Amino acid sequence: MRNRASNTLSKGKIRQSWSKYNLYNMSRFRSPATMNRTFFQQKWSAKAVSRAYHGEQVREGQWKRMFSRRIKSVIPMNTADLAADDGSLVSAGRGSGLSKEEKPKYPTRQTPYTNMTFAPLERRLDVAIFRAMFASSARQARQFVIHGAVTVNGQKMRHPSYLLNPGDLFQVEPDRVMFATGAPKNKFERRESRLAQKPAEEAEEANEAEQAEVEEPEVKSPKETLKALMAQAKSVMSNDKDTLPAKRKQELRGFQKAVRRVLSRSGSESSNILTQSLEVQFSHLTELLKAKRETKAPKQDNKPAKLQSEDDSLAFDADEPAASDKLSAAFEQATLGNDINASELSDEEFETLKRALTQMRDNPIDHTKPYATPWQPRDYMSAFAFIPRYLEVNQNICAAVYLRHPVARPGSAEVPTPFGESIATPAYGWYLRRRW
Amino acid sequence: MPPRVQTGRVSNTLLPYLTTTSSSTTSSLPSSSSQCLRQFSATTASQTKLRRQMFEWLSTAGAGLKHHVPGETNYLTRLKQGGHDDSNRPFPNNPNFISESILSEGLREEIYKRVVTQKQSLRAVSVELGIDMKRIAAVVRLVELEKRQRSQGKPLALPYARAIHEMVPVTPLADKGERQQYHESINDLPAHPLTGTQIFYPVPESRSFNRVEAGRVFSGAPALTHEEAAEIHHPYDLAQKVIEDPKSIGWVGKGEKARQILQPADVRIPHPHMIGLERDRIAHPNERHTVQHRHAERLARQESLEQEARQRAQARRDASQTTVSPTDSRFDYRIQDTKFTKETTGANGRAPWAVGRRYGVPHNDRTRGTVKIPTRVDA
Repeated sequence: MRNRASNTLSKGKIRQSWSKYNLYNMSRFRSPATMNRTFFQQKWSAKAVSRAYHGEQVREGQWKRMFSRRIKSVIPMNTADLAADDGSLVSAGRGSGLSKEEKPKYPTRQTPYTNMTFAPLERRLDVAIFRAMFASSARQARQFVIHGAVTVNGQKMRHPSYLLNPGDLFQVEPDRVMFATGAPKNKFERRESRLAQKPAEEAEEANEAEQAEVEEPEVKSPKETLKALMAQAKSVMSNDKDTLPAKRKQELRGFQKAVRRVLSRSGSESSNILTQSLEVQFSHLTELLKAKRETKAPKQDNKPAKLQSEDDSLAFDADEPAASDKLSAAFEQATLGNDINASELSDEEFETLKRALTQMRDNPIDHTKPYATPWQPRDYMSAFAFIPRYLEVNQNICAAVYLRHPVARPGSAEVPTPFGESIATPAYGWYLRRRW
Repeated sequence: MPPRVQTGRVSNTLLPYLTTTSSSTTSSLPSSSSQCLRQFSATTASQTKLRRQMFEWLSTAGAGLKHHVPGETNYLTRLKQGGHDDSNRPFPNNPNFISESILSEGLREEIYKRVVTQKQSLRAVSVELGIDMKRIAAVVRLVELEKRQRSQGKPLALPYARAIHEMVPVTPLADKGERQQYHESINDLPAHPLTGTQIFYPVPESRSFNRVEAGRVFSGAPALTHEEAAEIHHPYDLAQKVIEDPKSIGWVGKGEKARQILQPADVRIPHPHMIGLERDRIAHPNERHTVQHRHAERLARQESLEQEARQRAQARRDASQTTVSPTDSRFDYRIQDTKFTKETTGANGRAPWAVGRRYGVPHNDRTRGTVKIPTRVDA
């Protein structure tokens, strides 16, 4: 299906997309005028505007068959009220003078029923993937489904129009999700990935030439990293010959062997093994940290909440002014694969360093990936970031369960729609009348 | 129809004669209409004005939306109305959509621990943590899947998960000794379509008209007799009766139109036992221990009844089919007897929903106009 749903600025339509064009269109959106327009015209334009957002990939006839005038809603019940009263108080005294002029006991907020007009479309697999934030647009979600990256209840599902049933578990390949939601590569990173695909000799030459031009401290060729890692393993072996347990020694020896094997072979899979070696490096570092902490006689103190945000930023660039110099130096050493001078760091800094290392392990630099590494959320993503309650999402494995159909409740509707009552109601009215 | 000459183009063709700078590009153009469709002029087209405005907005007002601050939402509404409590509304034009919180990683682990390790019932965990029972079941399923994928060494999207948890409101797990913040309302009553009608129903003043009777009126059932009504002091008594025996709900209508009598809210909410707890609290305000004890008993009773019902259903399913699993096969064969009734196989035994391959009835996978998209995927 050809994609006619571009984010044009001249039309200013709102789409199911995270693009900045869409954000700008959303920011300047005004409801269509109603003055001096017939009721038909008002309904028509309300329908047109809301259909551009809700299921523009679905043909109008198909949607009209899906439309249901019956809207699901729930009322949250208070069990204390139910226990106190069997309902006869509400019905008692109607017309016999017992009714008093007082405010109703329960807060009455209106249920926005017409905001739920497009609730049947939320059942579609492609829309649900977009709502679970696994794709940056409904179109992209659709592509993921068609390209076979999505499973429903463990089986590959190639139909974007599959209607999820309550309890269905859908899962997207994590790499696709990271690509869809991550920042794109810049031209240097694209060049890196091209080089990574070339044979190793060429890559090394080009790398050296490139590093002379562009100064990027974090970018290292896989070979160099491997060499550094091997040297590090050797040094650990020679230093702690007596203290290391036998199992650990075996591991390190195995690691050395693996590195040597990779160094001797000039192949494209070096980056794949590089990630494994990073794993080893990481476990080694954490072990070192643990040992140091034990020697320092640890005392438990509650870490301040501020630290959380501090170390998050630390994961991406080590020399953040907020972090202490020692800490950043230690982190830099860690990323380069050297030993850390841990005696100078405080307990809090240890914690921070450990968390930063965890993030480095989870979010490595890998030029074979189609997105910029280390992974970062794409620009303007946070403006669209919400997860409706009818989905339960596990972001770690990029899987979600469609719990139930979306419902309206007093004061809120679960169907995410950028349009208010003034558009939702005429659009609902348009589909109430059968015109075909 | 001859190609129309657009006015904008005409001025462009005149340009080389007026200015000397752009002559190299435009003067060499032949005047054929197909070539004229491409613009080579340096003048700005109307479209770029909008683009310019957009990038201006993105660099000024919209600049704050580019990156998020961990732990805070960053929605467009922030720009539109500052000062209000709008931080959870992603769409400035729609006040009725709220970005609701998601479960934190710690809370998810806690749920898994309680259900799988400590073997608590879904119902009990749901009430303690204030999370819907369906969500609890889904969380257990997802954490189980995550653990399996971790053990298999499959790729995970950990940085992505961290970023999402920074952008979206999160319900945290309470610290030890603190009260857990409720995630959502757990006693949601679905609005029944029958209750949408307005009914004029005169009732004698001498009778109290409660939720049980209202439900009967909505479903068109005859009013309760005085003896029946006298048995039910509070609608919760009916709820207890239904929990003990789900088949005690009466029916109205005949044949295809037969449907169950609409029950009061006390029966239809997910946690009726909480009404019992509240009633005990009202009746015995000073005996907290007894109230809690009775509540635990009620929960255990309901749990055991549900367990029995599940086992009975499973036994019935097992009795109706035989499972053959050959040793050298990848498949299990489940063999079930076909019941030849009008409902199961149709009037002539060849209904499209009938089981198995029917002689003379073509398989409908190639017939035109039939939808081949599956309607369900079994887990």
